[in-house]
Amino acid sequence: MIVLTDIYKQYRMGPNTVTALGGVSLEVPTGAFAAIVGPSGSGKSTLMNIIGCLDTPDSGSYRLAGEEAAELSDNRRSEVRNRHIGFVFQAFNLLTRANALENVELPLIYRGVGARRRREVATQMLERVGLADRMHHLPSELSGGQRQRVAIARALVGNPSILLADEPTGALDTATGEEILSLFEKLNAEGMTVLLVTHEPELAARAETVVRLLDGGVSAIENTKERRS
Amino acid sequence: MNAESQLIMLWENGAISIRSILANRGRSFLTALGVIIGVASVITLTALGQGARISVEERLGTLGANLMIVYSGEPRGTSLVRPRTTNIRPTLTADDLAMIESFPEELVVMTAPESSLSGQLKFENRNVTATVIGTHPNYTEIRNFAPIYGSFFGESDLENRRNVVALGAETYRELFPDGRDPLGSTVRINGFPFRVVGIMEEKGSPSQDASAIIPFSTFRRSLSGEDRYAMINIQAGSPEVMYDLQEQIEQALLAARRLPSIELADFYIANQMDLIGTVTEVADTFTLLLGGIAAISLLVGGIGIMNIMLVSVTERTREIGIRMALGAKSSHLMAQFLTEAVILSAAGGGIGIAVGYGLAWGLQRFGGLLTSVTPDSVVIAFSFALVIGLFFGGYPAYRASRLNPIEALRYE
Ligand SMILES: Nc1ncnc2c1ncn2[C@@H]1O[C@H](COP(=O)(O)OP(=O)(O)O)[C@@H](O)[C@H]1O
Ligand SMILES: [Mg+2]
Repeated sequence: MIVLTDIYKQYRMGPNTVTALGGVSLEVPTGAFAAIVGPSGSGKSTLMNIIGCLDTPDSGSYRLAGEEAAELSDNRRSEVRNRHIGFVFQAFNLLTRANALENVELPLIYRGVGARRRREVATQMLERVGLADRMHHLPSELSGGQRQRVAIARALVGNPSILLADEPTGALDTATGEEILSLFEKLNAEGMTVLLVTHEPELAARAETVVRLLDGGVSAIENTKERRS
Repeated sequence: MNAESQLIMLWENGAISIRSILANRGRSFLTALGVIIGVASVITLTALGQGARISVEERLGTLGANLMIVYSGEPRGTSLVRPRTTNIRPTLTADDLAMIESFPEELVVMTAPESSLSGQLKFENRNVTATVIGTHPNYTEIRNFAPIYGSFFGESDLENRRNVVALGAETYRELFPDGRDPLGSTVRINGFPFRVVGIMEEKGSPSQDASAIIPFSTFRRSLSGEDRYAMINIQAGSPEVMYDLQEQIEQALLAARRLPSIELADFYIANQMDLIGTVTEVADTFTLLLGGIAAISLLVGGIGIMNIMLVSVTERTREIGIRMALGAKSSHLMAQFLTEAVILSAAGGGIGIAVGYGLAWGLQRFGGLLTSVTPDSVVIAFSFALVIGLFFGGYPAYRASRLNPIEALRYE
């Protein structure tokens, strides 16, 4: 369960301050599939970063599984990211010098999993996203869609409860985007909480809930589907 | 984290570091170059310093054990090795010698007076200038200077003022260039005939190698006409008694001359301990100085590591952001970059040790310099390199661990 109450986040840009989030309140139940939409600069990424414990709000409360995120130590927040959250970024953010398998193993390294076990789990994950034959390729040797699938495998390898995807299909063609969304739906059906930031209305429409952001505030929350349980 | 996962992290950090070092081979080499040069120069320069010390000690060792010499002339320093002893006006008397010989065995083992002059040696049609030394048979033992062929003269030669000579190695080579056996041959020294009884060993010192040594009694009667001695060589009982003995002899000689202080004396005393002490002190200072200069270059190497590591941290900002997003703690990143710095400096140190050994060997083999690599310098230089890696890698590592994950991820 993700509960945000009156979240503010401002950035200082020289003499000006930019309000990225100006009082956002939002609840995402465990197992939900929510899409976050809004124009560029409306605060979507900032919101995702706060939910993912990568960033802290200036004020307001963010409770994750009952715990107040602001009260966690840096180390504890690292652990939360490592164990409970899977990130997928628009820019993939793969290590360029590591091959697909090594990239997918990364979260497990910081969890202290031994090399043999790591390899096993990462291999399974890559097989699951359909990259069994690309394990030893560097990111530069993969297509955009393949790279994003490596990133998804990496996000999932630690078996997180929440998947945060910030415009994961933004750099991909429609067909590939479609494929990735199907994968998310499947994961959600298995019980994972999925938050998806997207520009594309067709994709957003497939979520149960659509959260509309405008100028750092929530302008609408639409329930498009019945919640599956 | 439990012990096992700590171990896994350590291993992973090593693997990550080695991969990143190998990915930037050229830059890694340049980074380590400062450390390589530093370690190599510490090892090579201290090897040179120690080599100098050893060669001086060897040289001094061949002077003779527990040697003390009373010289005629005004006091000047404590040098046992004087370039010229032929021009000294002899001032030491037979009474002086008797006084010194009267010391008990524990203090004075034996003595040999010595005077010398520059003489003309002639054999067949060859003429050679040599230092003609008049002394006693004990001379060979006190000065650790023995005949290599034939024999030295003995007590009866001294008593009977026989015209016998032991030739220095150089003198022999010049008088007998055909290498013939000289024993029994007669050479002329300043016109007087002398029978050759032996050839002295090579000492590497011109005053001893280009010499002709004869009994003092003969020297006085035929060549110098002077009763007094230029020098008295003394073999002291042990190193411990050396200074005490020197003081006693000095006082006795001053008393015999009715002189109040050594400044006014017509003699001075030098002993081996002084000389060895001074020389090894100089060599050690030299070693320390060279080592210090080299250590500074190692320090500069450390700054090089810091410089390049800072660049590396900046270049890898995005990588750091990714690792943080995936759950790396600041301690993980700190450890990762520290490991990299330490691996770089350890590799640099290892290569530096090899280069240092190579240079020391090359200087000895091709440069004619005696070098001696001391294990201490290797251990110290290598540990110093590691410490420097830790120290100068520390700041970049700290910077990496303090990055804000969001900003690191946004970094282009
Ligand atoms: N690190 C930052 N420094 C300064 N301004 C920022 C930073 N991150 C975001 N912003 C600003 O905050 C606002 C919201 O940004 P963001 O959350 O990235 O929007 P979105 O993802 O919806 O496009 C924008 O105006 C952006 O310029
Ligand atoms: Mg964004």
